[in-house]
Amino acid sequence: MNSKLLIAAVVIGLLFGVPLSAHHSVAGEFDPTKPVTVTGAVSKVEWVNPHSRVHFDVKGADGKVTTWSVELAARNVLERNGWHGNALKIGEVITVTGDQARSGAPMMNARGRELEALQKGGAKYYPIVRADGTPVLFERE
Amino acid sequence: MRKSIIVSALAVLSVTLLAHAAWPQDNETISQARRKPPPTGPVPRLPSGKPDFSDVAWLASGGNFKQFDALMLPLARKIMSERNVTQDPHNFCMPDVVPRQAPFPFRIFFNYTDKPATHAVIVYEGNIHSFRQIFMDGRKHPDYLDPTWYGHSIGHWEMDTLVVDTVGFNDVSWYDGRGTPHSEKLHTIERYTRLDKGRLQDKVTIDDPLMYAKPFEVTINATTTPGDEVMEYICQDGNQYGVGTLPPPAPK
Repeated sequence: MNSKLLIAAVVIGLLFGVPLSAHHSVAGEFDPTKPVTVTGAVSKVEWVNPHSRVHFDVKGADGKVTTWSVELAARNVLERNGWHGNALKIGEVITVTGDQARSGAPMMNARGRELEALQKGGAKYYPIVRADGTPVLFERE
Repeated sequence: MRKSIIVSALAVLSVTLLAHAAWPQDNETISQARRKPPPTGPVPRLPSGKPDFSDVAWLASGGNFKQFDALMLPLARKIMSERNVTQDPHNFCMPDVVPRQAPFPFRIFFNYTDKPATHAVIVYEGNIHSFRQIFMDGRKHPDYLDPTWYGHSIGHWEMDTLVVDTVGFNDVSWYDGRGTPHSEKLHTIERYTRLDKGRLQDKVTIDDPLMYAKPFEVTINATTTPGDEVMEYICQDGNQYGVGTLPPPAPK
């Protein structure tokens, strides 16, 4: 599967004004008005507290590779939801949706999207989807 | 006691309904509302007959300081206006002030002796993997205390309620991400009551004459989950708060 860089700037955050009051300051670091969806190959999994991170290499239209990272919940939160550090394999192609860093760096956070889905009362939200469409690594019940 | 149980039940029910009907401000409250309800049954007890607080407790609701903003003194407002969310010590893996342990789980152990317990220890999974010790041997607070993050705590029982009296805090930690401040004059009284097998209530009196016009009480409702354990949580391990994500400060 060709790795593509897809940026979908949907202004959902403006409509819903996602409150992010507890835990770490997600709102200060990541912009809920700039959700991005990116596809790439897993290059590193940081299974740590206070926030897990997955790094993945994204090949642009010009062939240049950019390493993105997505910040997830604490390792403990993921583990209490049944996920472990071997949920993703190095080299595995994944598509990730999250809010981009306010600095514009290729970094995103998935928790704002998850919180929004939770607040809408919908199904569990999976910030990461495997190449075969299997969702993985939800954080919130 | 009966009244408090009914009030608590109504509070939990209200929170649950609110989570589905509207969008409350506290994401942990929403998350809690979606989890399965807490276990029911009588209060578990220690061989001494006192309630057992060792089951892991999770915040279910409460702890919101915004509702007490009207009581803030000018000094508190000034300090708060000079803070912004990116400076919150909590985000840099520093300890949280009483009662800001949420949304992390905690549990309380008592030492076991042939006499009533002389010490209680509150074990916190996060924000930093830490503990507080509560002296229950009848000692008083020292006349002088150098300020510390957790202060000096003495405890006693009032019927089935564990009462923890703490002074000697530093003034570095914040009550919330908004920057709600406290001073070194802060005096807290926590009242832990295990309402039943699945619910723990912590009513905290906040008395800070430098920051608030009068003392007030914050009620925290927690869910106790027998069988769960405190997990290792080393905040410094992967903390990269603000590294690469925050834009550079605007030129002056």
